Amino acid sequence: MTLTLSTYFIGSCIAVLAGLDRMAAMQTMFSRPIVVAPLTGFVLGNPMVGLQIGALLELLWLGRLPVGASIPPDDTQIAVGATALCLSVTPAPTLSYQLLCLLVVLPLGKIGEFFERGARHLNLRLSTRAEALCDQGEGGRAERQHLIGLFHFALASLCTFSFVYWGGSFLLGILAPWLLSGVSGAASWLYLLFPLVGAGCILASINVQRAPTLFLASFVSVSLLLWLL
Amino acid sequence: MSIVLVRVDSRLIHGQVLEAWVPHTSARCIVVMSDDLMSSPMEKMIMEASVPSSIKVFIGGVTEMVSRFKSGEFDKLRTLVLFANSQDVLSAYRDGFIFNKLNLGNMHAGSGKVPCSCTIYLDPTDIENLNELVAGGVEVGSRCVPTDTQRSYKKMIPKGGV
Amino acid sequence: MNRLLSRGTIILVFIRLGLLQASWNFQRLQNLGVLYALGPALRRLFEGEDLKAAQQRHLEYFNSHPYMAPAILGAALAIEETQAAGGTSVVKAAEFKKMTIAPFAAMGDALFWGGIRPLAACTALFFAFRESLWAPLVFLLLFNIPHLLFTIVGFWLGYRRKHHILEFIAQKRLPDVAVRAKEMMVVLLGALCSLLVFTLLSGLQKSPLWAGLSLFFVFAAGWLFRKGASALCLLLIGAFLCILSGYLL
Repeated sequence: MTLTLSTYFIGSCIAVLAGLDRMAAMQTMFSRPIVVAPLTGFVLGNPMVGLQIGALLELLWLGRLPVGASIPPDDTQIAVGATALCLSVTPAPTLSYQLLCLLVVLPLGKIGEFFERGARHLNLRLSTRAEALCDQGEGGRAERQHLIGLFHFALASLCTFSFVYWGGSFLLGILAPWLLSGVSGAASWLYLLFPLVGAGCILASINVQRAPTLFLASFVSVSLLLWLL
Repeated sequence: MSIVLVRVDSRLIHGQVLEAWVPHTSARCIVVMSDDLMSSPMEKMIMEASVPSSIKVFIGGVTEMVSRFKSGEFDKLRTLVLFANSQDVLSAYRDGFIFNKLNLGNMHAGSGKVPCSCTIYLDPTDIENLNELVAGGVEVGSRCVPTDTQRSYKKMIPKGGV
Repeated sequence: MNRLLSRGTIILVFIRLGLLQASWNFQRLQNLGVLYALGPALRRLFEGEDLKAAQQRHLEYFNSHPYMAPAILGAALAIEETQAAGGTSVVKAAEFKKMTIAPFAAMGDALFWGGIRPLAACTALFFAFRESLWAPLVFLLLFNIPHLLFTIVGFWLGYRRKHHILEFIAQKRLPDVAVRAKEMMVVLLGALCSLLVFTLLSGLQKSPLWAGLSLFFVFAAGWLFRKGASALCLLLIGAFLCILSGYLL
């Protein structure tokens, strides 16, 4: 239990920082699964697990764009959550166990959209308050309202991560005995599912007319090359 | 006529339109009908420059573009039509621009506007304009991007009216 | 023209631009972020009622791409500076912002979210599947070099050229650059998928003809996605079928 709690604590620190990077601050994109999952793994002692989880998640949502007011799935918290969850159970989890963690955490991550929408609604109050302050000629105080927004986004990230982590460990406790053997039986196929679904979605949603042709050409030529060699 | 989408969006051409709706509808042509835009050539220039060259873009006043539609200029192209506000849609509709579905994307807040969803803010004039379209048989719904679920216009208006 | 802003203030504005989206809200989006970023400069340029009016006009609706916004706000800042010095400008700062936000956002979305980010990720994924820890670093480098270039150079050019930044950006045909990046990304993705499929097939000692089946699966997933199924939903259905067939076979 102490291990789970300390993992949760470390995980939530990364979750909050990455959650801020995602939208509110700098946007260096270290919040992408491919970076943040290995980072979580590194801090918790096994970067390779994070790399594996991050790569699969990155592939699944390669094509989702954060455009305008539409909120994309919170892949950051899912990546941190799945990695932390996996490493809280065992320091060297098998591929099947990683896949199981991912499958459990993925649907739970949906909640992230709810918390993020909440943060954005809370921010509206800041804008309204800043406007009132400006009208009173207190521009400096109006500017400082802006920084409270950071706190809202951090809180939303923390809520999402906590839900994903504790919900995940609860579900994992129930489901693991039932599903683990099934997942290990189908591990390689499950593994392949992520790139294939991700590629399908990106081909369907990209605004390049030639995309399917280019994809086919490159897939077939690399396949033939590998078959020849 | 091959109109694939008619949308009201205060931002006209922007990311949601180009990255989500254009691929979803396989549109090859974007028509922007807006009278306000005609007074600012600089804005028109930068808006045209934000579209990749594989997609044709036509920007013009409502009356002008409706008559070009009637002349059959866009018949062979899969066309996405954008309006900035409900007033422009209604005047195009009255001029004889025919469509059966209207998508509400983003309609910005302003004085007297009431929130109807996260991105749609309407005032009584908007409601009147849209009601006239609905009465004419146009199906009005709101969806920011294709992956969102469609919300019907009737369900969006708050109970007490605006 | 006499400059009223010190270099320090300009740098402070640029640094504050990093927090542009910190109080993103549904009604006016990044408006408060703009006030926060331009605030130090406005306080130096105006005072009294003029300052109040300036702060109010920069609290209006603003929503652009975070990496393209520095170019817009750099130009807006220079326009405000000219006005404060008593000069005239072709467009007012508020008008300029209003006309540029949407097209600049469109270009930024296409170039960064649609083009460079997936391209950088795809390249990094090759490293990830070779189990190399270079993967995150490759991604960060490939993504952040253009990111920093656009924000720093964009801000500087915007500040120097004011509204002429529009012609400059229009000439660069950024949407076409984005299309090239996307095409490259699709080619890399095809290669990556085929590599993964082949590694799996040789591991399971299956016939290479199974690769054709996975190709069919990609297009089936794409078709279902167009019909409204989300990536998550497709993945979970696929996983369910995989596990079920594992039990049955």
